[in-house]
Amino acid sequence: MKRNNKSVMNMVGLVAVVGLLVFSSLSFGEEAYDEEAYGPKAPIVWAKPVKGVAFVHKTHTMDAGLSCEDCHDKIFEMAAGTAEGNADFTMASLYKGKYCGACHDGQMAFASNTRCATCHVGVKGYNRLTGPAPQGKDAGKKH
Amino acid sequence: MKINDLEKLKNEGADALPSEERRRFLRFGLAVTGVFVGGSVLSLTSARNAESAMGPVPAAGSFPYSPHYTMVMRQNRCIDCERCMEACVKTNSVPSYGYRTTILQQEREIGKGEKERVFMPVLCNHCNRPPCVRVCPTTATYKDKKNGIVMMDYKRCIGCKTCMAACPYNARYFKEENRAVDKCNFCFDTRLSKGESKTACAAACPAGVRIFGDLTDYNSEAYKLIHKPEKVVWVLRPETGAMPNVFYMND
Repeated sequence: MKRNNKSVMNMVGLVAVVGLLVFSSLSFGEEAYDEEAYGPKAPIVWAKPVKGVAFVHKTHTMDAGLSCEDCHDKIFEMAAGTAEGNADFTMASLYKGKYCGACHDGQMAFASNTRCATCHVGVKGYNRLTGPAPQGKDAGKKH
Repeated sequence: MKINDLEKLKNEGADALPSEERRRFLRFGLAVTGVFVGGSVLSLTSARNAESAMGPVPAAGSFPYSPHYTMVMRQNRCIDCERCMEACVKTNSVPSYGYRTTILQQEREIGKGEKERVFMPVLCNHCNRPPCVRVCPTTATYKDKKNGIVMMDYKRCIGCKTCMAACPYNARYFKEENRAVDKCNFCFDTRLSKGESKTACAAACPAGVRIFGDLTDYNSEAYKLIHKPEKVVWVLRPETGAMPNVFYMND
């Protein structure tokens, strides 16, 4: 009886430990980033109309739970560089609810006319992400 | 000096105090509004009402130059597109190894695991009490008597670079082509003297960060911005007591 009890308890303990491991790996473990489901891993970096705006798919899909269809192809064409080629790819359009402004309106996500440097990584960020040869004062300097 | 001799000294008044001293005083939540001749305090008021007189912005009517040029930086709008720098290079033929204006970058912790990026445009602050002018051995750098712009006379500069060491804002570089130190002069020779109302950088900024103006013109945007109620306006390195004329704010 006692022995049985003990083995049952052991079993319960083992199941609990295994369960905990499985559960924790699901909730706290690093989920692999799947480009098929979440879009390209590399940030999208725009240089027009101003240099240095970065969009990270992971933040919007994996972290915020948007699906591809939420933006493609109504708000943004899948083909890279399409938005950049449009004349109305400007902040003024965003305020009217186009492009990023479809969600970044102050209701669904922070408004496009606030927190500028969240998306605008600037020339410095552009160079960091695309990695051209440093110019000006940093020329020839190893970082 | 004996302590009794202190009383015989001439009172320098409160406006000659370095900003740091004023700030230390402000921490008591009070501001001096009256002083007896001799320096003992006559009256105090809560700092809230006296802020404009005690903060980095001089009180209205106390701008010593006419026009008193200033630049107000609405810092939170800066996106580091660097069009200002390009415009400056083009207008003032700035070489690649130096700058008259640049943009600094900072990553700031705003909470647990949260960071924000801050871009800060910097240039010569055209101080009311410029340390560079004070140390120049040949008066090659001087404060223009009319408009207060800190100017450079290349012919008189001997390239000793003392001004570069003295500048709290790192706004000077040695220009090999001129064999002289070069710096921002609010585009005085290239634009202002030709009737333009804005500097090249202010005209090029797409985000309305750089507001160039005249503090003696109470209708100018610059004047209105830094006197907006409830807005925090700050200057860089106030502790140097240089009394800069470039003001920063978030709007």
